[in-house]
Amino acid sequence: MEEYKFLFKIVLVGNAGVGKTCLVRRFTQGLFPPGQGATIGVDFMIKTVEVEGEKIKLQIWDTAGQERFRSITQSYYRSAHALILVYDISCQPTFDCLPDWLREIQEYANSKVLKILVGNKTDREDREIPTQIGEEFAKQHDMYFLETSAKEAENVERLFYEIAAELIGQARSKNGSSAAAAVAAHRQSDGNSSIGLGSFSVKAAQSNCCGGSNSSSNNSSSGDNNTSQAG
Amino acid sequence: MSDDLPDQFDLVVIGTGFTESCIAAAASRIGKTVLHIDLNEYYGDVWSSFNLDALNTLLQQSNTMVRNGRFTWHDSCEESASWTREKLLEKSRRFSLDLCPRVAYSAGELVQLLIKSNICRYAEFRALDHVCMWYNNELVSVPCSRSDVFNTKTLSIVEKRLLMKFLTACNDYGEDKCNEDSLAFRGRTFLEYLQAQRVTDKIATCVMQSIAMCTPNTSFEEGMQRTQRFLDSLGRYGNTPFLFPMYGCGELPQCFCRLCAVYGGIYCLKRSVDRITVEDSTNELLLSSAGKTLRAKQVVCAPGQVPLDQLQSEVRAHISRGLLIASSPLGGEDLNKGGGGVNLLRLLTPDGQHEAFLIQLSHYSGTCPEGLYIFHLTTSASSDDPAADLAPFVELLFGAQTPQQLIYSAYFTIAAPVTTNAALPRIYCTAPPSYELDYDAAIANAREIFGKLYVDAEFLPRAPDPEEIVVDGEDPSALNEHSLPDDLRAQLHDLQQAAQDMDIAE
Repeated sequence: MEEYKFLFKIVLVGNAGVGKTCLVRRFTQGLFPPGQGATIGVDFMIKTVEVEGEKIKLQIWDTAGQERFRSITQSYYRSAHALILVYDISCQPTFDCLPDWLREIQEYANSKVLKILVGNKTDREDREIPTQIGEEFAKQHDMYFLETSAKEAENVERLFYEIAAELIGQARSKNGSSAAAAVAAHRQSDGNSSIGLGSFSVKAAQSNCCGGSNSSSNNSSSGDNNTSQAG
Repeated sequence: MSDDLPDQFDLVVIGTGFTESCIAAAASRIGKTVLHIDLNEYYGDVWSSFNLDALNTLLQQSNTMVRNGRFTWHDSCEESASWTREKLLEKSRRFSLDLCPRVAYSAGELVQLLIKSNICRYAEFRALDHVCMWYNNELVSVPCSRSDVFNTKTLSIVEKRLLMKFLTACNDYGEDKCNEDSLAFRGRTFLEYLQAQRVTDKIATCVMQSIAMCTPNTSFEEGMQRTQRFLDSLGRYGNTPFLFPMYGCGELPQCFCRLCAVYGGIYCLKRSVDRITVEDSTNELLLSSAGKTLRAKQVVCAPGQVPLDQLQSEVRAHISRGLLIASSPLGGEDLNKGGGGVNLLRLLTPDGQHEAFLIQLSHYSGTCPEGLYIFHLTTSASSDDPAADLAPFVELLFGAQTPQQLIYSAYFTIAAPVTTNAALPRIYCTAPPSYELDYDAAIANAREIFGKLYVDAEFLPRAPDPEEIVVDGEDPSALNEHSLPDDLRAQLHDLQQAAQDMDIAE
């Protein structure tokens, strides 16, 4: 297992065809797959980056095509640390839909989520949305702004590194100056944390192979110990 | 928008409730082309969660499956009340109110399925803080963990020993079905067995009410199995054997939908089917939907998602639900230490004829603002008046609450079709949510239908982790690029750049 101190979940939203998957794959794999269809079986991509000497694991989630008919599950937005809203600078309708997306984000995402507006496809000659318009929209809605080209790899690294840096800054200010107190720790420290089954799956699977009653028999036998102590 | 919707599918699933979503995910996972639609604009159908405004709207509308809805504000006349109707509505979006609240056994069907299929990566849970029982007109925590048994003041030392002895016996039961007790109590009730163990009344209540969750008529064998189920789930996550999904049970169907979509399933909410017919020449099912005809080899649909005359007879009341919001939790300080208070309580009427379960949620479950508590009451419907069905339980629990603590209450009925007329071949109707604590019946229903759709196919095999996937036709090294030493990585970059410049990249 790779070591890392921070794990951040980043989710992408925006109309179909604005280049969300291309941005993710350019960043995580260094590839630009032209004219690709939906990526079957790929859920999220992971890339570990180093910012200010810290290893940071970025878990980048794509929409799995559910945006096609405006049917993204609310659970997609849950527990995201950063949210990248993407439009295509050469396609006015993708920009016009931004308010709809913002409504959905406001409804389902954490109110403190870091929001970034991205105008993608700067390599295109037929720009329809001037940079300034995008910038103003972002400013109005309290978002960071960046224009990128997944095709030319322009600003893609910068986008994700800046998100990582910002999230680290946030995590640190929440936990004082201790860098070790990662977001993960912040979520699990008070005993009122939520549980992901994934991290426990090995443990659970193991006890299953041992006949299932493993944990409970431990439990009752030590319970006996307890009572005998008490007696 | 619907113009570019493909019109040919292996499977069309109508309704995004829990059972339908399981089937959709399972079919998509084994490579079938799946269209998953729902006539509502939200996921989950009758398994969904709503914010406060949306729930109130739903209760005011007449809906085939959610009926007899009504809600009441218990406005306090006191100025000092910290929570008012206005404040709740202001925070409407912070609520996630379940139509069908459940808890999951930590080693139960649902948790095993989520882990086995890797769908657990989409879900988070909260371990329940307490399992409670109602004893001597008081809410008491049932000791679950070792330290609980050791520390509890609820039981005397003798009782502790008796309880542990009894539970150990239950735990060993499966290994030796021919031992004395098993033979002696075959065909008798669990209660008789319990009484023969000379446990105290308190322990009997504890076991019957909260651990085995039995009625006086439950057979010995079933009682033993239920006790084991409880014990098997202990010590896995948290203090109790139960988990509650963060942000409400409405998240669960969506987790399955996400998997379906990741494997290519197409999603379309707010889309209904008006009519289903069979095309004789091709033997395909034709679904007319929003002016378009969709073709499917097979169809799965939820009750209430297709016109009633087509597949189902009339519906009747099935589950009665109560949903109360208050500014203080049930039970004393002991039960709600640290403001935790995500608790479970199973209740029986004094005659033992009716049972209900209560799930208390605090803000730690992600379903309400801090300082408020949600109480979900669920019972089998015996009438079309959910408030009347639940009245004995509400009276018992909330009779003592001072009025200003209770802020809101809502009641509704979840309906189910009386019979299903499977008039057309290759259309499978899912069962409505049944009265159960966990998802066992729903999962069994999904498995059964999936087995009919695709004989011998594996139900939700493990989905690989993103790290394990090599996308077809790509250089696998690219996926592991970040693990290369810096100089090699730079080289690889240069090579790729060169290849792209020369236009020979794939």
